[in-house]
Amino acid sequence: MAKESYNWSEIARNPKYLELKRKKRVFLFGWWIASSVYYFSLPLLSGYFPALFKIKLIGVINFGYLFILSQFVVAIFVAMYYTKVANRDFDRLTDELVREIQ
Amino acid sequence: MFTKIISAVLLSILLTTVGFSAEPSKSASQVGVTVPSSAPAVQASTTVQNPVAAAVASAPATPVPTPVSGVPTKVKPNRAITISMFLVIIGITLCVVIWAAKQTKSAADFYTAGGGITGLQNGWAIAGDYMSAASFLGMSGLISLYGIDGFMYAVGPMFSFIAILLVIAEPCRNAGKYTLGDILSFRTSPKPVRAVAALSTVTVSLFYLIAQMVGAGKLMQVLLDIPYRVSVVGVGVLMVGYVVFGGMKATTWVQIIKAGLLMSGTVLLAFLVFAKAGFNPVGFFTDIVGNQLVQDHVRINVLKDALPKQGFDYGQRFMEPGLFLKNPLDQISLGIAWALGAAGLPHILMRFFTVPSAKEARKSIVIALFINSSFFFLINIIGFGAALYLSPQLISSVDKGGNMATLLLAQLLGGGAGSLGGDMFLAFICAVAFATILAVVSGLVLAASAAIAHDVYVNIVMDGKADQQTQVKVARITSLFVGIAAIVMGLAAEKENVVALVALAFAVAASGNFPAVMLSLFWNRFNTAGVISALLVGTISALALVVISPVMTYPQKIADDAKKMIVTLEKKQSEGVMLAEKDVKLLAKSRTDFEKNDGGTSMVGLKAPIFPLKNPGIVSVPMGLIAAIVGTLLFRDKRAEDMFDEIEVRQITGLGISKASDH
Repeated sequence: MAKESYNWSEIARNPKYLELKRKKRVFLFGWWIASSVYYFSLPLLSGYFPALFKIKLIGVINFGYLFILSQFVVAIFVAMYYTKVANRDFDRLTDELVREIQ
Repeated sequence: MFTKIISAVLLSILLTTVGFSAEPSKSASQVGVTVPSSAPAVQASTTVQNPVAAAVASAPATPVPTPVSGVPTKVKPNRAITISMFLVIIGITLCVVIWAAKQTKSAADFYTAGGGITGLQNGWAIAGDYMSAASFLGMSGLISLYGIDGFMYAVGPMFSFIAILLVIAEPCRNAGKYTLGDILSFRTSPKPVRAVAALSTVTVSLFYLIAQMVGAGKLMQVLLDIPYRVSVVGVGVLMVGYVVFGGMKATTWVQIIKAGLLMSGTVLLAFLVFAKAGFNPVGFFTDIVGNQLVQDHVRINVLKDALPKQGFDYGQRFMEPGLFLKNPLDQISLGIAWALGAAGLPHILMRFFTVPSAKEARKSIVIALFINSSFFFLINIIGFGAALYLSPQLISSVDKGGNMATLLLAQLLGGGAGSLGGDMFLAFICAVAFATILAVVSGLVLAASAAIAHDVYVNIVMDGKADQQTQVKVARITSLFVGIAAIVMGLAAEKENVVALVALAFAVAASGNFPAVMLSLFWNRFNTAGVISALLVGTISALALVVISPVMTYPQKIADDAKKMIVTLEKKQSEGVMLAEKDVKLLAKSRTDFEKNDGGTSMVGLKAPIFPLKNPGIVSVPMGLIAAIVGTLLFRDKRAEDMFDEIEVRQITGLGISKASDH
């Protein structure tokens, strides 16, 4: 591996870096936790509140089926939203920081 | 010179087994006879007892037709058409290997295709690495037999990409190089950490690999009457060939081709089902709920109601949870394994290093997530379509676990058994399953050999001082041996209950690798002791819990069940009822089962499971995590803490990222 000579602890104190780090951490862990809560609500609800899953909403299609489908929608939404935010904010902040250091 | 030696070895392995197979064709046909005694046990543990495996990899491990209920129906693909399609796939992939081999010169080429894979390509390759034949065949089968529970089951493998996308892929790409060991050893004592990381990688990959090999062997045996040994060795030789000669580049393209084939097959099948349903989803589900056969299946086979309960809608019950997944705690435990395990699988982790930047890594996971979600969504249409157009009775008569549902449906939608269209479509879907197996096993071999060659040999034995040529040579030799080991173990495990292995691979990855990787990236105090305790405690606790769980085979339970059957049947006899021929056979079988299994114990000497859940995640993940934290705090390490700034800046910004040009 090539050895670049960066002063890591100096970069770690750079205000731009700290801003990027904070933004990334809040966003990534926040969304990770939120989507996990939604994900685990599926086995929890189906296991402990099966009656909810039986409620028919569209013809014979019930809440359970639509809730499972919504898991797919949520996963895709999180992926798309993250891509958008990362491309717009994180990548820009990273580029600015890297330019400043180099 | 070197490559010639490997070719010679591969060829001789192939020839030996073909020679062997002249005789084994006999032993293979015996399988059909010997299996029944153990079939119910295997069956039960595969499809009912252990969901992880049924869906992850081993579903094809049990498509042994169970001749218990008289003459089994079989899926009969047209051999000539199917084998020619297999040969076309083999031909195309071998061309890819030849092309890739010419460009594989450095260690970076071998392990990461020189970092020259684009995000789009890598996304398809990750999907190809991840979607197994079991998802394709097993999950639609589950849906066709148990309705909505099967679909609920698909959410886990779909969702596992969220953790990878948000917290694993980009940091790992920025901070890593080739293997799990590279990330974990960054600010710790490299030698012990690499050794433990390599051990964990090899364990996880081999578990997964053996399950795939056994599944492949049984699938080919059932579909095409190819003897088990020949299929295992054939698949093994191909995968070794791909990896040894073509390294990551060939593996990537095999996975891309497979993902393309798998998605085309799935889209086509789902489209045909949807067309047959008149593109009306509500009507489609109304038909299922109103279908007499589906209703009978739910009532008689699943709920075991001899007489219909007044006013109970058995068809609607198919759309409600609880027919297959019965223990909520087990489901949550399984959910944890999915959500965290996939992010700790070394062969998936390794794929992030093939792209040039974190941005491309992100793109590849988003694409993989799209492909994956579409795949599992379409599988739901295929599964429900199979229930409606084939009937659960037919599907379970061919294979108790429903693993043949997709194949039967392809035959039907292509024009029916015996028609050219039916034969062609069925052959195509068989070929897709075949390509799927090849792609998954290749990725696993590559990950396991990278751990041995890069972590153990280059970095521990040689202190990192090995030139490119040696590194590539060692990597190739290691792949060869990993492949041979997988073949040998696959052959030895023919009659074993391999299902537990997949559950184990996921549980180990979730309990050991995942906390270790996360804390390496995000916790400033994390150190050598932390990594080692996470990996050891995570791995051992997952292993120990699975070994004492209901997933294992318990002979005493088989004996007890047989005893019950004997008592019932003998009572009938003593009442003067003439037993039907089927029941006489069942009685004889139950007696042998009882004699064979009474007083027997499981692999670790248990009469009954101690741990109540099939999935250890809910206990082993916290254990791995706590071990990591306790280990870290007991043995504080100043150097590791000082180096946190470096790994954190690297993982966030990508400064100093390892590139192909670095060598």
